[in-house]
Amino acid sequence: MATHTDTLVGFPPRASIRRRLAFTIGGFGALAIAACLLAPLVGSTRVHLGAVFDRSIPYADNIDAQIFFVARLPRVLAAALVGSALALSGVVFQALLRNPLASPDTLGVSAGASLGAIIAITFDLDVSLFGVTAVPLAGFAGSLGALAIVYGLSAARRRGTSAVVLLLGGVTLHILLSAVIAFVQYLADFTQTFRNVRWLMGSLDVAAYGPIAAALVPMGIAWTGFATLPRVLDLISIGSESAAARGVSVDRAERVALVSASLATGAAVSLAGPVSFVGIIVPHLVRLVVGADHRLVLPASALFGSAFLIGCDLVARTIVAPLELPVGIVTAILGGPVFLWLLFRRA
Amino acid sequence: MLKARDVSFAYTRGNATAPRVLDRVSLDVNRGSIVGLLGPNGSGKTTLLRVLAGILPPLAGRVLIDERPIERLTRRDLARRIAVVPQETHTTFDFTVIDMVLMGRYPHLGAFALEDARDQEIAREALAATGTAALEARAFASLSGGEKQRVVIASALAQASEMLLLDEPTAALDLAYQFEIAALLRHLNAGRGSTMVVSTHDLNFAAAVCDRLVLLKDGRVIGEGSIEETLTAASIQVLYGVEADVQFHPRAGHLTVVPIGHSH
Amino acid sequence: MATLPPRVRCARAAVALVTMAVAIATTSAGTWAAATAETPQRIVSLIPAATEMLFAMGAGQRIAGVSNYDRFPPEVDKLPRVGGLLDPNVERLLSLKPDLVIVYDTQTDLKRQLERADIPMFRYVHRGLPDILETMRALGDRIGAKSAADAAATRIEHELAAIRAHVAGRPRPKTLLVFGREQGTLRHINASGGYGFLHDLLELAGGSDVLGDLRQQSVDMSTEMILARAPEVILELHYGESLKSARIEAERLVWNSLAAVPAVKNNRVHLLVGDEFVVPGPRIVLAAGRFARALHPERY
Repeated sequence: MATHTDTLVGFPPRASIRRRLAFTIGGFGALAIAACLLAPLVGSTRVHLGAVFDRSIPYADNIDAQIFFVARLPRVLAAALVGSALALSGVVFQALLRNPLASPDTLGVSAGASLGAIIAITFDLDVSLFGVTAVPLAGFAGSLGALAIVYGLSAARRRGTSAVVLLLGGVTLHILLSAVIAFVQYLADFTQTFRNVRWLMGSLDVAAYGPIAAALVPMGIAWTGFATLPRVLDLISIGSESAAARGVSVDRAERVALVSASLATGAAVSLAGPVSFVGIIVPHLVRLVVGADHRLVLPASALFGSAFLIGCDLVARTIVAPLELPVGIVTAILGGPVFLWLLFRRA
Repeated sequence: MLKARDVSFAYTRGNATAPRVLDRVSLDVNRGSIVGLLGPNGSGKTTLLRVLAGILPPLAGRVLIDERPIERLTRRDLARRIAVVPQETHTTFDFTVIDMVLMGRYPHLGAFALEDARDQEIAREALAATGTAALEARAFASLSGGEKQRVVIASALAQASEMLLLDEPTAALDLAYQFEIAALLRHLNAGRGSTMVVSTHDLNFAAAVCDRLVLLKDGRVIGEGSIEETLTAASIQVLYGVEADVQFHPRAGHLTVVPIGHSH
Repeated sequence: MATLPPRVRCARAAVALVTMAVAIATTSAGTWAAATAETPQRIVSLIPAATEMLFAMGAGQRIAGVSNYDRFPPEVDKLPRVGGLLDPNVERLLSLKPDLVIVYDTQTDLKRQLERADIPMFRYVHRGLPDILETMRALGDRIGAKSAADAAATRIEHELAAIRAHVAGRPRPKTLLVFGREQGTLRHINASGGYGFLHDLLELAGGSDVLGDLRQQSVDMSTEMILARAPEVILELHYGESLKSARIEAERLVWNSLAAVPAVKNNRVHLLVGDEFVVPGPRIVLAAGRFARALHPERY
């Protein structure tokens, strides 16, 4: 029978968490920085770097500078933000719902944002607030509405209920909102339908810094929430009760997780439209490299999510030059097979 | 060390007249002892453990640890004194064994501190104490039922608490593993002086492991005392409605229970 | 000659009368049937362009129903609506008892249903500028208004030719023809890609489609593409409800973030509002005229 005092077999001890964290942030951080620096230099048009930074050319005449600073740089920044927000949300939703196939779309927050945007497009709403125009504004409002509903569901949960209730309620909301979207589409005329469909494919061509700055507000709030979560998500993902028994305030942590991930998702989808698969693939790819510890998975996903979406957008805007593919198509073409592979792996 | 006084609990959900899962339960757990909560399914054992651990607040009554009401302690404080071994552990993600055990250090480290060499040492000691040191780098999900349970006990040990609460530790295990766990628990109690509260419906397991028993039926304590006092044919009759023969088994070294037949 | 007895004379007259009556009846019935097939009196048009063509050839009073998207001429407001390209209301349509339905060639389900109901159809295909006039003539022929249709089409041809002549010889500015974009921003810009009737009108009005080499009905443009192609004039089309002038000005200013584009630098961004840009019918003359004024203001 088993002895109770085995001598320690000589395992090479795994590197300490500090060391692994340093390597994770260093490695993925370098990747993200490289993507941010290189991506604006590449595109469907040849840009002369000297001319871009040449102060002697008046800005209004400097096409190279405008391509770099108006067309490309905001795009790369938007990709970095949206990629990181979606990846982080994906990780958090997967832990919150105890489901490795969960994504930012699962609970309906993304559908809420889409519904808001589609309404703004179909009815040609003309409002703006804090420099944010109608469509992203309505999108963000829609995501807040969906969050309010899901939050209400989670607050109404009695103590001890599993994540299943949240999951079912959120999925139902997602289906309901998708039906409403279809209804609004039905009301739309041909042109509006065309614009709706294009919006739903996602686009990172923001061409301005204002929308990015606006998105940073809810994302910043989300990041402060995310910062408190890594270890707590580890514990919760093993079981709410064992987490509680170890000193975690499970209800509070789950609420912070829900609100942060929803704010980040809402901001991302309002900025760029629903970009599929980033929130589900990036966490899994990252886990293949760093393991399951959320203290590594969260920062790595944020950084890799940025690099990944910057890369997808680069492909989207160069592969059929001078035309462009919607970025959502590139992520879907990459993401679909990867998702299927993940499913088979688990089965 | 741990006391419960007139603890009642119901899963109310806003329903004031919900049936009580626990009804005025009182018990005492002395330092260094192994107390068993024995009763049929639905008797409230798991709920009682949760209340004792501070996971569920009682509807009425108090739980005291070293004479202090547990509500006065912060969650992490309480976790440093009491560790819980749940009945089953399902992992959503692919943690390794050492990952699982290091999570037991949370009450000491909190959300932001990273574990250092000392924490690693404690974790490894816990693995060694449960005979799972060789599994350190393995994926938790790939282990057998008995190995998993031993790793979960190790992660509870890593919490370095004086007290361990175990919820049906052998419910899902084969006979051989049941033996292992029973021996492990007695060993930990003897070697580390861990105080334990073990809930179980397995009469022989209770006899093998526990010093004292608290008999629970329908949320009420119907008996309490040493093994010899509580594990009798009469009490088994009341608890399970089964006629049983209770004998001291010289080779086993403890009382054994053989169910004989149905009684009405 | 002996006269026929009165009875026989009566009988002969009766037979002649009956024969004549039958002859008249059948001939006029045949003529009536032929007249119905050649001059439908209850036309339902699912295509706004076709409706306008019918009015232009003087057949407006023969229209029994129009699509949900018809807005011109004002007389259509009084007519029943039967849906559109994506959502035709077949019940409503049939209840109007049409003797000719003008359908999009792509409406396969609707066509099948009309075939089953034995209702004659005119299939409309949407292509470029020459096809508009060809369709007009074909439609006129179909409904028995050939001369009126020919006259209307010829008039349009002359007017278009006049516009072309008016701007002939002028250098053709590179023009970006924008069909739509997200309100308030430069996102999701959809522009002419060098094919279709609007592209043809643009070229006729003396412009050079900046994306002409792509040969596509429409293109989703990125801001990088716009900067790279450097159009000298930007024409942005708006249709549907009319826009307030404050809104028009605000939308025009959105282009200022692309300061290096010649059209922006030289203040040649024009927002054109009107239905004539979406209806490839008789009002293309208006559209062409407005393009020409925007492209060659010095000529007007």
